[in-house]
Amino acid sequence: MCGITGYVGTEDGIPIVQETLRNLEYRGYDSAGVAVNDGDVAVYKQAGQVEDLTVPATSAASCAIGHTRWSTHGEPTDDNAHPHTDCSGRIAVVHNGIIDNYDDLRAELSDRHTFTSDTDTEVVPHLLEEELTPDATLQEAFERVLERLEGSYALAATARGHEGIVGARQDSPLVVGHADGGHFLASDVPAFVEYTRDVTYLEDGDVVHLTDDDVSVFSDGRPVQRDRRTVEWDAQAAEKGGYDHYMLKEIHEQPQALRQALSGRIDELGGDVELDLSLPPEFVESVEEIQIVACGTSYHASLYAKELLERYADVRVTTSIASEYEFSGGRDPWSTLVVAVTQSGETADTLGALRRANAAGARTLAVTNTVGSTVTRETDETVYIRAGPEIGVAATKTFASQVVTLTLLSVWFGRRRGSLDSETAAEVLSGLQRVPGAVQQVLDQDARVRDVAREYADEEAFFFVGRDLGRPVALEGALKLKEISYDHAEGFAAGELKHGPLALVTPETAVIAVLTDGGAPEKTLKAVKEVDSRGASVLGVSSADDAEKYLDTMLSVPEVGVAEPVVANVYLQLFAYHVADLKDRAIDKPRNLAKSVTVE
Amino acid sequence: MKAVILAAGEGTRLAPLTNVRPKPMLPVGNRPVLEYVVEAAAEAGIDEVILVVGYKRERIQNHFGDGDAWGIDVTYAVQDTQLGTGNAIVTAESYIGGDFVVLNGDRIVDASFVERVIAERERTGDVVMGVTRVDEPELYGVVEVENGRVVDVTEKPPVHAVASEFVNGGVYAFGPDVFAAIRRTEPDGELAITKTLDEMLESHVIRAVQNPGPWLDVTRPWDLLTVNGQVIDRDGGRRAGSARVDDAASVAEPTVLGEGTSVQPGAVVLRGTALGENVTVGPNAVVENSILLPDAVVGPGVVLRDCVVGANAVVGANAVVGPNATVEGGAADVVLGDVVHRDVRLGGVIGDNADLGGGVSAAPGTILGNGAEVGRGAAIDGRIAPGTVVRR
Repeated sequence: MCGITGYVGTEDGIPIVQETLRNLEYRGYDSAGVAVNDGDVAVYKQAGQVEDLTVPATSAASCAIGHTRWSTHGEPTDDNAHPHTDCSGRIAVVHNGIIDNYDDLRAELSDRHTFTSDTDTEVVPHLLEEELTPDATLQEAFERVLERLEGSYALAATARGHEGIVGARQDSPLVVGHADGGHFLASDVPAFVEYTRDVTYLEDGDVVHLTDDDVSVFSDGRPVQRDRRTVEWDAQAAEKGGYDHYMLKEIHEQPQALRQALSGRIDELGGDVELDLSLPPEFVESVEEIQIVACGTSYHASLYAKELLERYADVRVTTSIASEYEFSGGRDPWSTLVVAVTQSGETADTLGALRRANAAGARTLAVTNTVGSTVTRETDETVYIRAGPEIGVAATKTFASQVVTLTLLSVWFGRRRGSLDSETAAEVLSGLQRVPGAVQQVLDQDARVRDVAREYADEEAFFFVGRDLGRPVALEGALKLKEISYDHAEGFAAGELKHGPLALVTPETAVIAVLTDGGAPEKTLKAVKEVDSRGASVLGVSSADDAEKYLDTMLSVPEVGVAEPVVANVYLQLFAYHVADLKDRAIDKPRNLAKSVTVE
Repeated sequence: MKAVILAAGEGTRLAPLTNVRPKPMLPVGNRPVLEYVVEAAAEAGIDEVILVVGYKRERIQNHFGDGDAWGIDVTYAVQDTQLGTGNAIVTAESYIGGDFVVLNGDRIVDASFVERVIAERERTGDVVMGVTRVDEPELYGVVEVENGRVVDVTEKPPVHAVASEFVNGGVYAFGPDVFAAIRRTEPDGELAITKTLDEMLESHVIRAVQNPGPWLDVTRPWDLLTVNGQVIDRDGGRRAGSARVDDAASVAEPTVLGEGTSVQPGAVVLRGTALGENVTVGPNAVVENSILLPDAVVGPGVVLRDCVVGANAVVGANAVVGPNATVEGGAADVVLGDVVHRDVRLGGVIGDNADLGGGVSAAPGTILGNGAEVGRGAAIDGRIAPGTVVRR
């Protein structure tokens, strides 16, 4: 997982590419580098964050490529940082993805070329060196190199004596930005959105040649037209706006994000949901199984959705961790819908699962935050969660928006399958409309949560428990804490505690219980009593006043019915944030993690 | 030129609405008061705004982000404790290198006022203070002006001592030397910029510039309704694309309907009303001259007149708030702090997250605290503390 960028235009390329790299740091940040081409090629790269990269303050080069890295092959070292060069230093290449056949290529090249890094990427500049004969254009040589590569890549290259940048996309995202007086290439739109919102998303197999006044796209060696579109969302919202961390900013954005997720989709009087889906009615009525595939936080949102889909749409639902997913036996692809839930729309594991589903012939639907992302092109249908850009590596607002959007989807199915009457639907929907306000109420308790976090921060381990809809939230609460505070945190079904994990509970550990409607609070309370007698401190996020006497600390959740666990989750997000902040962790960039994981 | 906008204040007289949001974030015409101020600055040619924030600053930061939506750069200077306007200006010192203007974040002014103040600074190089005429000067800093110069500033003088119809308009232009002058001022509990200005009169010329446009101040709950009506009249009604108005509902002009609002069959939304995002107005409800903050729910048959309904509050079926709740109707006496305001037009203020049961009747002037719960059929009036549970 890495981010690549490139700029060709009329201005000094170094500060521009540095800026684009800073904007992409959420994709990885263990090493960074820039190569400039002002007729000759110069490379500046080192291990560490973009901020720490030493580059000349100004340059005469108006053509530059850049890279921010998250290690997959090779340690984060100066040598392994991109851009990589050929033996002569006249060619520089940046890469996001994995070259699967790099071992073979490296063996083939190693008698004629000197390799200076442990990366898979380095084969590309050396191959390019061989192909870039005096009479070849950069693009021709590049296309011949691509024929040799197996794997996934977004690549950008520049070379001495050749104008502009060439790029290619295969299973890794790559976007072109059209600005006044120049062009951009990047793994993701936020890289260059201060400069332009006018973009072209490249497709797999595309090769692009950028100069300051032209962008040409080729597929199979022939010129092709790719649509230009205007990115609507306010990518400047991607800046921190007065908050210390993106994560806290994004936690606080949830009421607005949720209103956007709901806006214009609810017909409360008719008890129905309007989603722009063109699934044939006969398919919707006859579908026998919905399989949800997702990773990480999106997987937890999917567990929530599974309960609601089964409840409202009366259909069998399975939820799979995407990397584990196979279209297994006993299923009829014609009556199966596979739903991929991914914030970025670029999660490699999820895309892989989707491809296996597509290969089996199942119909597919994406639930994502990212317009134009790969997942939207590889599925039959898309529902957007409309959360706006999320930069913090730990997903927060997108979880809430995913759950709310998936709840809408459950009601949509339920109404069309005749399993949910309009009155019940209206009740569910009016509860859903209460969620943004309830979340705001929780956010107004931020100072209290910080006090609670201070009280609990030094516990040796944290066990999150919940049942029913409270279970995905317990899992998510534990994931947040371990991601950003590096504390040992585990989520369990409350009923499972006594079947093993209880052995870990001591007076030096904390148990955090989700005790809300939709989460079988009475039953969860039994688990609370079990741990209470082992001396653990118990923190409850609860809408039931009578739970308080069993808890050491209670955070009170407003009553909004089955959506209460997702409101309770906001407390857990704030709790994780404050515990991590008290320990001075790198909250927006936790160690070893990257925002959207585009390798399998 | 840069602008420092003071937005760190709480606004206790507007409680309970200001218990969860700072005063500059109170909405009129569905937009925070502060947004009108930021827009006036941007329109006057300011390209960088330093927002001095403190109390509940998350609300301000969430709304303005980095200012891109207004075509300006916004940075935040945090004033941790409210120690007066002078102290607030000093908080922004590290962001200021040259001349700058200062605006109050809770007074709506036109860009032309800001432009005049800037022009006067550029013409004379003197400290400039914008002044405006108001009906009740004794509530503000009264400014005596002679030949375009300020000769005296008196904070809230007794009515008999009011020597001028001009008051401090909350728009100033300074050079960086003002920071030293503020530091030299001895605080009286808090450090007000007006005190520094008064002291500066000894040695400096302070130019007065008259406000050529409206000056809308929100100090008391009923001001919110007045100013809401004024900005809706001035800017016209708006209806967001995702607002749903049932065919059998009636929405008069001018009114403002935010994203995701729903006006259900038979409901009547009358002039002067602003419905925030995701607000629901139930069947046959009547809402007139009122402000509903985001996520509020108005049940079937409810009647609201001259009301402010807090975010996420629920008004149960057939509840009546305001004039129609009593036979006498109309004006009310409202206590703010230790002052009784007689015959003001205020139907009621329902705090954020409050929950009114069905058939509740709230007399004009009722101020219900945040999160209060009022049981079915209860009759309430006066001021009710946050979190109170009222049963019939």
